[in-house]
Parts: sequence; C-alpha cells; structure tokens
Amino acid sequence: MRKVQLGLLLVGAALAASASAQSTYKGPKVTITFLHGFTGPDRPVMEQLIKDFNEKNANIEVRAQAQPWGTTWQQLPTLVARGNAPDVVVINEDQVTQFIARGALTPLTAADLKAGGINKSAFYGPLFKTADYEGKSYGVPVSSTAYVMFYNKDLMAKNGITKVPTTRAEFTAAVRACTSDTAGKKPGQAGFDATKLNTWGVSLYNNWVGSRAAYAAILQNGGSLTDSKGNANFNSAKAVSAVQYLVDLVQKEGVARKNSTEEAELAAFSQGKVCFFPSGQWYLDRFEQQKMNFGVAFMPRIGGSTRDAAWGASSHLTLPRQPQGYDANKRAAALAFIGYLSGAASNLTWTSTGSMPTQKAVASNPKLANSRVSGVFDRVGSLYATSGFPWMGQVLGPFDQAWEAAYLGKKSVQQALNDGVTEANKQIEQARKQLGN
Amino acid sequence: MSLTAQNPEFTARKRRGGGGFHRVEPYLYLLPHAILFFVFVVYPVVYGVYVSMHRFDLLQQTQTFVGFEYYRNLFDSSTPQSQFFWQTLLNTTFFTIVSVPLLVATSLGLALLVHRPIFGRSFFRAVFFLPGILTVSVMGILWRWMFDNQIGLVNAVMTAVGREPVPWLATQGLAWVPIVVGTVWWTIGFNMTLYLAALGNISQSLYEAAEIDGATTWPKFRFITLPMLAPITLFVGVTTALASFQLFGQSQVITNGGPTRTTQSVIQYITEEGFSNNQLGSATAMGFVFGVMMLLLTAVQFRIMARDAREA
Repeated sequence: MRKVQLGLLLVGAALAASASAQSTYKGPKVTITFLHGFTGPDRPVMEQLIKDFNEKNANIEVRAQAQPWGTTWQQLPTLVARGNAPDVVVINEDQVTQFIARGALTPLTAADLKAGGINKSAFYGPLFKTADYEGKSYGVPVSSTAYVMFYNKDLMAKNGITKVPTTRAEFTAAVRACTSDTAGKKPGQAGFDATKLNTWGVSLYNNWVGSRAAYAAILQNGGSLTDSKGNANFNSAKAVSAVQYLVDLVQKEGVARKNSTEEAELAAFSQGKVCFFPSGQWYLDRFEQQKMNFGVAFMPRIGGSTRDAAWGASSHLTLPRQPQGYDANKRAAALAFIGYLSGAASNLTWTSTGSMPTQKAVASNPKLANSRVSGVFDRVGSLYATSGFPWMGQVLGPFDQAWEAAYLGKKSVQQALNDGVTEANKQIEQARKQLGN
Repeated sequence: MSLTAQNPEFTARKRRGGGGFHRVEPYLYLLPHAILFFVFVVYPVVYGVYVSMHRFDLLQQTQTFVGFEYYRNLFDSSTPQSQFFWQTLLNTTFFTIVSVPLLVATSLGLALLVHRPIFGRSFFRAVFFLPGILTVSVMGILWRWMFDNQIGLVNAVMTAVGREPVPWLATQGLAWVPIVVGTVWWTIGFNMTLYLAALGNISQSLYEAAEIDGATTWPKFRFITLPMLAPITLFVGVTTALASFQLFGQSQVITNGGPTRTTQSVIQYITEEGFSNNQLGSATAMGFVFGVMMLLLTAVQFRIMARDAREA
C-alpha cells in the first residue's frame, strides 16, 4: 500500500515538476556535484526531483550524493580547505551559522538569487533568515520540519475534551481530564497515585527532543535561549517560569510520567494511553500507518501568552567556498539548480516526505488541504530555528542537559538552568576565541 | 673472516647479489610496514602535536599558535574542559574497573564449561560468540529497550514478581547496569574463544600426573589450568582494559551519556569537543593526555602480569 502511494506521489511529482524544471542557466554544458543528507524515506523523492531536472536540462548534469548529516559536518571543513567541496551542499539550521562564520560558504547576493530565479520574498521570512548572517544570505530553504503536538482524538473525547487546547488554562484542564491512575482516580482526588498512571495528559521525556517542549515554552513566554549578542540567557525569569510549568506537570500535577524516555512515550501514545504527544512532525507517517484516530496541532501556548512559538528545523541549499579559478558557469548552473529545487513546484512534491511547505504559495495549494498538518501551516511563521549564532551547538548541548536534570528532578529548575547558562557561556567564550572575535 | 667463509648461505648470497646488498635487504622487508607505520602512526602523531598547540580550524587561512593552552585548560578549574574531561575519565575508569574483571572471569568460566566434551558443545560455543557480530548500534538499542524506565523487559519482569520498577536509565549509578551487562553479553564470546584456544594447548599429561598424585578438580584448576593460562590472561586483560577505556558506542546509544553526563565516556567527550564544539585543538590535546595515560597503564599492566606469569 505504502509503495503504491509513493509511486502515485512520484508520478504526481513528475507532472508538477515538469512545468518548471527548465532552468535559468543558458551556458555551456557543465557537471555539478550535490551533497545532501536525505538518506531516509525522503531519499527516493529527492532522487526523482534531481532526475527530472537532469532530463529537462541538457546543459546541466547534477551528480548527487547522499550521506548521513553528521558525516558531512565532519568532512565539509576538509573538503573546502582542500578546494574540492561539492558545488551545492545541503546544511541544516543548527549547523549553517557556524559554517558561515568559519568562512565555509559564499554569500548569495541579490544578483545571485535573481540569476537562479529565486524569489526570496516567496519564502516564509523566519525560515529564509535562518541561513542569514550579518546581513547576508547564505542559503535557500529546501526542507522544513516543525515541532508539533499530536493529539489522540478518541482519548480526548472519552474524557470530555471537545476542543484542542491553545492556551495554558485550556491545556492544564485538558491534561488533568485525560489523567487517571490504575485505580481510576483522577489528579486531586484522595488516593491518586501518580506513579501508577493508566492514562495521562502529556508526554514529556528526557532527551533532546523532549527538551524542545521547554524551548517552545520559553519562547512563548517571551524568553529566549540567547540574547542579542549570542550569550546564553535561558535562565531569565521568563524562561524559569515557563520550564517550571512543564516540570510541575510531572512533579506536582502528576499528569505526565516521571523518568520517561522518548521510546516509552511514543509507545504509550501509539497504544492510546496519552492525550498529547509533543514531538517532531517526523512521527506523522508512523501514526498514520497505525491507523490511529489522531490530529496534529500547533504547540499550545503553555509557556506563556506572549506569542506562538515552536521549534523549527530546516535544511538549506548552500554554495561552499571554492578555490581560485572556479568555473563561473558551475556557479550559475548551481544557482539554477537551487532555484529549481527550492521552487514552489519542487517544494510541493517534497511535502510528500512529511516536510512543511517552505512558502505560502505551497501551503495554500489545494493538494495539501487534506494533509493532517495543514492546521499548522498558518503558523509556519512562528517556528523558530536554533540558529543565528555560530555557537548554537554550545548553547543547545547545555540546554538539553539542563532540561534533563530539571525533568528528572535531579536539580531545581532554577539551578538546572543556571548551571546550563554558566556552562554555555564558558563554551561560547571559547568559541569566540576560536572564531577570532 | 673464516667464519663468514664457512657460512655457505652467506657466501652464496654474496656471490649472487654482489657486495653490500645484504645491508639493504632487511630494510626492504620492513618497508611495506614502515610505510604504513609512518603514514598512519608517525605522521598523525606529529601533526596531532601541531594541531593541539594551535587554535586549529582548517577553514581559517592561518592557525593561531596557543602553545600549551589546551593542556593547561585541563588543569584550570574554571574551564569546562577541566570539569568534563576528568569527570568523563573517572566515568570511564569506573566502567573499566567494573567490566574488566567481569569480562575476564565470565569468559574464562564459559570457556571451561564449553571446553569439556558436553552435549551440544559447538552449539553453545556459537551461541556465546554470536552477539559479538552485532554492530554496536544494534546491541545498544537492544539493551536500551530491555532496561527502558517504563516499557523495558527488565522492569516488566520486576513488576511481575511484585517488585517496584526501577528507572534504570535515569538513575545515577544504575544507568551503568545496562551498559556493563550489554558489553559483557556483546564481547564475551571473543575472549572465550581466546581462552578455548589456550585451554586446548595445555598438555593432558599434566592433569594425568596430578591425578596420579591424587589431585581433585579445584587443585588441578588452581595449580595447573590457571598458571598455564597466565599468558593468555595477560593478553585478555590488557586488550579488554584498553577496549573498556575506549568505551564509546555503548554509552552513546544506551544512555547518551546521561543522566547528566554520569555515563559519558572520555572518548565521547573528546568527540563532542572536537565535532560539536569545533575545538579540534582542544580535543586533540585531550586525546594526547588520554593516550599517554593508556600507554602508562599498559606498561604497568604488562610488568605486573609478566612478573606474575614468571612466578607462577
């Protein structure tokens, strides 16, 4: 069944793409290399897109290579330094800024974008800006993923919840209603045992994916991970109060399991034991195959009411630095390829992999109206990538550690976040030295 | 001169190859390995010293010389490096102290069991050896699931027999249990095979002589088997200790170093410093400090156990 679906999608994709596969490049025939990390079920979709491009453009041959992201991050500095970097490389939101700051990538000027037929204003603003640095653009979004909230419709109905919560008050009421222990007692009732939950409100867990719930909450409350200079500040009063709310759901309210792991919560949601499962959109396919009665919503404003916010991940098409004497035709062809792959037609095809649309024109396409994630499309502009500073990795590592310590109850929220900020700022200071600023 | 003349091989070679060839020949035999040794050992070590003394980034045009800054960082309590390097080194040492005796003793025990001509001997040998062919990610995910705080098999069994479930992966200390147990299960077959080979080499006449003198099972094991196995025990002990100090994949997959870095191994931390924090110079410096410690440890171990082997 799934193969048939994929096949149909590919046929549809080929039709959709054929209209715009013709590129802007008119020069002599060149071969360009393309390195990306789409090695999962998204790989055949990417390969089909490239094949279409090659068939339609006799003067450009794109040779693609797929390898795990982590390998690329380790190899790219060497490839660039030795002068044999691929012509086009896909880089993710959490890595792109450090590669820009270290000089691995070349800026895309207004003239470059025009030459490639790339319309910057067509994309969601924050998404495009993810690969901006010091006023210049370095990448064009090709894929985008959201941190969303999956919800179990049956379990909600059974507990009398008729509306997907969007505010903290609604959310608190809903998670309480969803929770009962093995003896049938509800939170707040005498004898309620939070260590023996039969069903519960929300999945919270210890790893980095779990920590993205805290990230959303902090941003919703007007807090941030870093200040305008890039120093860690996720121990601000706003951040502490937002994370405290989540930890209280576990430690005080008993509406989420203690000491849980992503696998355990994933299994529990699949088994219909939990109402709300905040996580990456990448689980969509899994739940659909399990024929569950579920929906997908944007993260409710649990951390605070300042703004809508959730974590967004994205992948960007970039042009690495090349040695002196690099063929200008290759760069022109690479830009044309980027224009094609990031364009509306290709992006529509790409959404079949579970990616969010990268631009409004795609989100409003009637073909996506029945998609389960369509309810999230109107707030793609509220997805915040962890990018902007070359040391985002040094901020996220300690932040994830802080969430783990707070969630497991190893430290108070204030203490965990303070320790995380102290560590992150020491690492940032060293990163600044390393980058020579 | 008369000596060389009496050596027919020498004179024959001299006639064939002409004068002086014998000076080059041994070096030619060494050349293939020497090339590999220089390319993959000597050059990286020298280059590593250079990297560890610079604010090293291949993408920069110039590499700033920093001398011993990254080595000093390890002894300056205000740096994250001093905190995490020593903590993760301690974690790794703890793992080694717990797992090496277990790995040596259990593999010897298993070898003794399947060395005897029992029914299904080859089957059991295969069963004990098989886990070793799994990749670390498969083995890691398996044991992570077995010990999952909520849905793990271990907790399911504990609940079934009326015990409270334990959050293995989230409890400091207990998080080592799946890592150690998993590692023993995973690597025991290899050590067992080494012991089996050594057991086969012990002459039966020793046991026969002992039996004539009235020796029972335990004395035979204590005074014949164990001493005869001393060289292989040295080998197994050293290689297992070194492998344990290189702990990486198991803790990466099973606990991801958690809770709060208490099961993070030193190699994991060095990788984090090099590739997440992009501090290659600092990571290389830590690699050298760690490498020197490993050399010392091996030297000490060889001395102690070689003396034991002689005395035994």
